[in-house]
Amino acid sequence: MSWWEFWKPKTERLDFIRDFLEVNQDPIPSIRTISQLKFTVLDTETTGLEPAKDSILSFGAVKISDLKIQISTAVEWYPKSAHSIGKAAQIHGLVGISNQISIEEFIKKVLSYLGNSIIVGHHIGFDLEMIGKLLKPFGLEQLPNPMIDTLDLAIRLEHGPRADQRRISMGAYSLDELCKRYGIDRDDRHTAGGDAFLTAQLFIRLLKLAEKKGIRTYKELIR
Amino acid sequence: MSNVIVNRVAEFLKRFPPFSFLGKEDLTRVAQSVEIQFLEKGEMLFRQGEAARPHFFILKEGLIQLVENSPKGEQIREVCDEGDVFGVLALLGKRPYVLTSKVIENSLIYAIPVAVFEKILEENSRVALFFAAGFAAGQVVVRQDLSQGQKARGEFKKDSGDHSLLIFSDQSAVIFSEKVVCCSPDTAIQSAAKEMAQAQVSSIVICDENKFPVGILTDKDLRTRVLAAGISPENPVSQVMTSPVITRNKQDGFSNLYLTMIRHRLHHLVLTEDGSDQSAVCGIISDHDVFLSMGNSPAVLIHALMNTLEVVEMRKIRDRAEQMLGYYLENEVSMEFVASVMTEINDVIIRQALEIVKDQLKAVYPEMMGIRFCFLSMGSEGRAEQLLRTDLDNAILYEDVAQNLKSRAVEYFQKLGEGVVEVLLACGFDPCPGKIMASNPEWVQPLTVWKSYFTEWILHPSPEALMKVSIFFDFRSVAGSKALAEELSAHIYQEIGKKQVFLNFLALNAMKNPPPLGFFRDFVLERSGENRDQFDIKLRAMLPLTDLARLLVLSHQIVGINNTFRRFEKLAELEPANAELFSQAGKAYEILMRMRALEGMQSKSNGRFIKPRSLGKLQRQLLKNAFVPISELQEIVNIRFQLDYFRR
Repeated sequence: MSWWEFWKPKTERLDFIRDFLEVNQDPIPSIRTISQLKFTVLDTETTGLEPAKDSILSFGAVKISDLKIQISTAVEWYPKSAHSIGKAAQIHGLVGISNQISIEEFIKKVLSYLGNSIIVGHHIGFDLEMIGKLLKPFGLEQLPNPMIDTLDLAIRLEHGPRADQRRISMGAYSLDELCKRYGIDRDDRHTAGGDAFLTAQLFIRLLKLAEKKGIRTYKELIR
Repeated sequence: MSNVIVNRVAEFLKRFPPFSFLGKEDLTRVAQSVEIQFLEKGEMLFRQGEAARPHFFILKEGLIQLVENSPKGEQIREVCDEGDVFGVLALLGKRPYVLTSKVIENSLIYAIPVAVFEKILEENSRVALFFAAGFAAGQVVVRQDLSQGQKARGEFKKDSGDHSLLIFSDQSAVIFSEKVVCCSPDTAIQSAAKEMAQAQVSSIVICDENKFPVGILTDKDLRTRVLAAGISPENPVSQVMTSPVITRNKQDGFSNLYLTMIRHRLHHLVLTEDGSDQSAVCGIISDHDVFLSMGNSPAVLIHALMNTLEVVEMRKIRDRAEQMLGYYLENEVSMEFVASVMTEINDVIIRQALEIVKDQLKAVYPEMMGIRFCFLSMGSEGRAEQLLRTDLDNAILYEDVAQNLKSRAVEYFQKLGEGVVEVLLACGFDPCPGKIMASNPEWVQPLTVWKSYFTEWILHPSPEALMKVSIFFDFRSVAGSKALAEELSAHIYQEIGKKQVFLNFLALNAMKNPPPLGFFRDFVLERSGENRDQFDIKLRAMLPLTDLARLLVLSHQIVGINNTFRRFEKLAELEPANAELFSQAGKAYEILMRMRALEGMQSKSNGRFIKPRSLGKLQRQLLKNAFVPISELQEIVNIRFQLDYFRR
């Protein structure tokens, strides 16, 4: 019995939600090797940094399987926002984007895209919180997928598994700094797709590093 | 559906051939299908002998070596860096990999599915040419048809937006008249002249009843042979026409037609149905036509050279010739044509220089005017392949004179040599650092002494002698008595016949410069000195080819072919089994000549040192491919002259 069954939906579960939950029912075997895992690297651009107030302007993602970034899976979506367009949008040049889709359509697309893959992102907690806000009206509090934060992974690999995050300069673990350190070109910063792509490139490097440290299976990776 | 990620991939691909030849749609389609993989130092992407994957690769960043495991151990065949396309066997023929790809520096690799590219390969001729020409890394292991490379370079260039005075770019643009003014042989001179005047042309072709050309009469002929000679204009044209006429086929291609005009100093060239004078006239091409369509022409330059004995003027004309050379090189005009034209120009300068100096010495040495001599060009000019005014290598050979004239002859010919070299230096040629010039008394000698020089080198092939051989054996008579030069050639073959082992020494010498295969990021660069980080194209690529061609031609006892690429052509004829290799070697040499000359013109130097970084990706690859025949040739020579045994 899974956790979500205890949660009483106010509205009837929609088909696409049910489908999504169904593919996520079976946990990933802990001994599965990393090369067999499917990852979705994602990033969102938002109107601001407060999940309570702000909303998603764009969502970009790309999948990794067989340890390769599959460009054919790259997506970029722009959900319609209830909020007035804020400062971030102006910075990111998203004002007046034409191919916006409704929140429902957005959620539908995101869920079917994610499937049961492992979600990867830099500072992923924020993105997940933003997405979670949109999920609520559809009877889903949080995404059930396993997730990996490239920020935590980088710290773990560079400082060891028991590193005390308080004693580490977090500035060195911004996506920008990490890209610099791992030799990744950074031209497209500040679009969801661009950042997702950078994060994916960072992630495949981190996976190599992990492999060298003896991390070979799903269990070892996700801890 | 394109997005930021796909666009980023496309932007990278677009920077490198063959992706640079794709339209936007195809590029997006390819970018969308890319898989990105990161490999660490020490890992392998694919191994020799493994079945081809459904992908080929382009290196986004890092460094990958393509190595071959052979009984001799691991050999690096190629080094790939950013933008290099490799592992293409999967795309072309689906054969197992012939090389192992070893990651030397952490590498980000883009894999492109063959399935997506196959269609493009079929539809896009330039992409197909890229692969046909062997521009992808690792492809060169299989010998490539370099003519595809030459073609490709010409093709690819067109898009670079270079429209600098494209003379010869479109040969059909040279207009020549198909309506030829003709008359019969018994036409009166005056009526012929009248017809010329009416048609406003400067020549008339005299034809028989079948319209076969029997002669030609030009404005100049009317002036010199009729008016000046006081011949009655009532006489028939057959009395004053030039006959027989040199004819060519219209289909011969422009460079051939033009070369004929230059060689025979024709102002008008008659074109006939089948190219002989036994078929009907179908067109005429004039100097003027050529001049109008080209703006600058070898014929004009040669003509101007022949009409001046002013050194300052000669220099100016030679400078102009270099400009013309630049256009030829840029536009992939055939190297045979370019080399012929430049050699002819250089030769005319030497002949004019001789005239100038002879004239000055005439009064002091009247008794020397009847002595036969021969001005020899050696080295690259001797091989008729000197494009830039690089080092002078020349000498004077004169007939043996009676005892009482000996000291006078020595004096006279030394002064002649000195004088000619001075004129040539003033015309912008560089002096020979080894002082192998007609101004050096050692190289101004009578036939007997020259014979004894060669005999000595052949009998005692010391390293120093072999170095001289490589310069002196390519001698060519530029002016004076050709018979003397031929006598010397005959002597040389006789001596080699007596001492066959000389060829083994020569072979050993030809192996001295191994081809540049152990590239570090493409090239073996000079490690020290002022040419650090440059590639010595002369020493490392051209010299081995010249040496090999000379050796093989000598071993076949061929006389009279000095040109390296012509030598390879001849060798291909003589050895059908190796024809393919020889013709590739000839083409490789042409490519190297062109690159060196272009580099020289750009950097205002002798072009010997090339900065690989300044070459585009395609040029670098073309250059690399040009090295391939060298090692194969050296292998053949190694076996043929039993050098492994000989070295002991």
